[in-house]
Amino acid sequence: MLKPTRMARVVIAGTKEIMEPTISTLHRMDVLHITDYLEDGEDFKIGHPLKTASELSEKLLSLRAISSQLGVSGKMPGEKISAKQLPSVIDEKIKKLQEEVTSRVDELRNIEFRLKEKEDLIAAVKPFFGLELPLEAYSGYGSIRVFTGFINAELEGRVSKITDNYELFTGEYEKRRIFALFVPEAFEEEVRKLLQDERTFVEIKAPALEGNPPVIIEALNNEVSELKQKHESINSELEKIKKEYSGFILASDEYLSVETQKAEAPLRFATSTNAFVIDGWIPAAKYDEIEKELKESTGGLAYITKSTDQVSVEEIPVKMENPGPAEPFELLIDTFATPKYKEIDPSAVIFITFPLFYGIMLGDVGYGLLVSALALAIKNKFRTGGLNALALILLLSGIMSTLLGVLYGEFFGLPIFNMVVHGELEKGILGIAAPAIAGINMPIHRFDAVQPLLLFTFVIGILHLTLGLVFGFRNVTIMHGLKHAIYEKGSWMLLLFGGVAVVAKLMPALISKTPVPTGNPVFAGGLLLAIIGVVLLIKGEGPIAIMEIPTLLSNVLSYARILAIGLSSAGIALVVNTLSKDLFIMPDGVLLGGGIGAAIIGILILVVGHSINLLLGIIGPGLHSLRLHYVEFFTKFYEGGGTRYIPFGYIRKYTEE
Amino acid sequence: MVEPSAMLADPKGLIAIGAGIAVGLAGIGAGMGEQTIGAAAVGAMAEDEKFFGKGLLMTVIPESIAIFGLVVALILLFVF
Repeated sequence: MLKPTRMARVVIAGTKEIMEPTISTLHRMDVLHITDYLEDGEDFKIGHPLKTASELSEKLLSLRAISSQLGVSGKMPGEKISAKQLPSVIDEKIKKLQEEVTSRVDELRNIEFRLKEKEDLIAAVKPFFGLELPLEAYSGYGSIRVFTGFINAELEGRVSKITDNYELFTGEYEKRRIFALFVPEAFEEEVRKLLQDERTFVEIKAPALEGNPPVIIEALNNEVSELKQKHESINSELEKIKKEYSGFILASDEYLSVETQKAEAPLRFATSTNAFVIDGWIPAAKYDEIEKELKESTGGLAYITKSTDQVSVEEIPVKMENPGPAEPFELLIDTFATPKYKEIDPSAVIFITFPLFYGIMLGDVGYGLLVSALALAIKNKFRTGGLNALALILLLSGIMSTLLGVLYGEFFGLPIFNMVVHGELEKGILGIAAPAIAGINMPIHRFDAVQPLLLFTFVIGILHLTLGLVFGFRNVTIMHGLKHAIYEKGSWMLLLFGGVAVVAKLMPALISKTPVPTGNPVFAGGLLLAIIGVVLLIKGEGPIAIMEIPTLLSNVLSYARILAIGLSSAGIALVVNTLSKDLFIMPDGVLLGGGIGAAIIGILILVVGHSINLLLGIIGPGLHSLRLHYVEFFTKFYEGGGTRYIPFGYIRKYTEE
Repeated sequence: MVEPSAMLADPKGLIAIGAGIAVGLAGIGAGMGEQTIGAAAVGAMAEDEKFFGKGLLMTVIPESIAIFGLVVALILLFVF
């Protein structure tokens, strides 16, 4: 918690004979973060991949091709296949699959191509339904030219001006006029010009087929349905293959990926003619285990030792270490930047503050329960990875919103308990008054308590910022010493506290127009602290740092969003409830007073309004809570820029060793 | 000359107008800030989807301005 796992740098060396078992052991243990070897000296070169590497990648490539042709998805649950059985069958099965799948997929493409062709032909023949001529009548003449197409203008009169020797057929197709005009070759140019000048003319060519259009279409339709049937049957065959081989494909994919990863590992080692050296990091607690395992698998031939060479802090891989419930919050840290090895990992703090801020913002029993339910649904659908972590974060936030909702006494914007608002009693859902806790009347209604809540959010902000500065103080002390910490972070703390004391006394005086209480010990002390802070700041970071001082004020004010987001969400809920109830469902206090239709509109407004508000209620508080952490909190201490711990290994899902 | 009735206007009304202006102008300002950042963020995301988190974050940064407007409005409404 707060600190990453303690790491140890190890160097593993041995002769090339034991390279393969060493790689296997390391891969299986999944703990070593390998530092890639950079060729700099003459003595050691970057290693070559194992001999099997190219063969394995080839197999993987063909397997993935098959897998994508079949559309195998990675969500197939099922029994794990033993990785030991796979090598004996994998070649044969991939070959068989390749034959079966590739030929069928080729056939499918072929059918699809022909289908397209036939469908195009049907579309081309259809317009000629309007003209009662067989298709062969449109072509094959020696001295007659044929024009066919759509036209939306009188044609006969204009053609007869050119020649009397013509034949014109007209008809209709989908409410457009289609025509076929036959003229002697001699008038071709003139008629063509006439048509080209006519704007409504669209030429269509008759396809080179024989027979009457309806007969042709019927034949074509038959062919199409035949092709479609074939397409379907091949598809179902492929589906069958997919069902049968899905497990095998996923397992082999995994097996081949693992083996390729192992075979290519030497690319990260330093090697000489006969030996290899692996440089890397492991969690310090794992050292004894890795030493023992290596000894067993190589017969004591591998040499492992802890290295004490100094390296820069950015190079040490960081493995965050947090108790289970706080672990998902590492995702939020990683999204920003991986912490440096000696830096504080704030996941455990965010685990508390993120849902708390979220809860104070959303604060509604109804929305809180819905958000929690949604989070549970996502969590059940995605068992691992980023979405699972997000769902857990959302779940905690939803629970917090529900709890705060009880405190605010809100259920979808409706009051849960009886309350007095503007001197009038408003009945709550439960119909009882809430008890007073510690002299404060429950529930705390947000619209009624804006002023105290606003002050409360500033207090939260000051505490949050102070925590950030304390972390920053600790980080700087560790990395650069106490003196720097006092200059860099101590100065800001003094400024913050001093500033708060000054503002706390100054504001009431300004508002009530009384003289500024310069003699007040709180005011004077605060001013003194702030001045010391400014002096330290200038000494530490130069006069330019004065420019940064107002950011402290904006940082504190920024926490007002905690109240603002909550008010707007509660406001929308109130508007939706009032609109639907007072206007549609119970106009003038009478149930269904406006008729069934109006009531239905009212219910629609209710459902749509609350859905939109819920959506905003998930995005808004989440983003703003995150922003308060990233922008206000992190800038006080967090640098990031560490290397993420990526152990050499593989998390097997479909195979087992 | 100022009409006597204008001088008698309820100061509460003026405060409410002031609060409205504070929120409204701050909102416009925040929106103007966000439009550029939002466009750039979408561009970055089109290049690499990993920028989603950072882009979203950058986009909401000017939202503080709107919050400041809101704080001023709340102080006007509830403190004065």
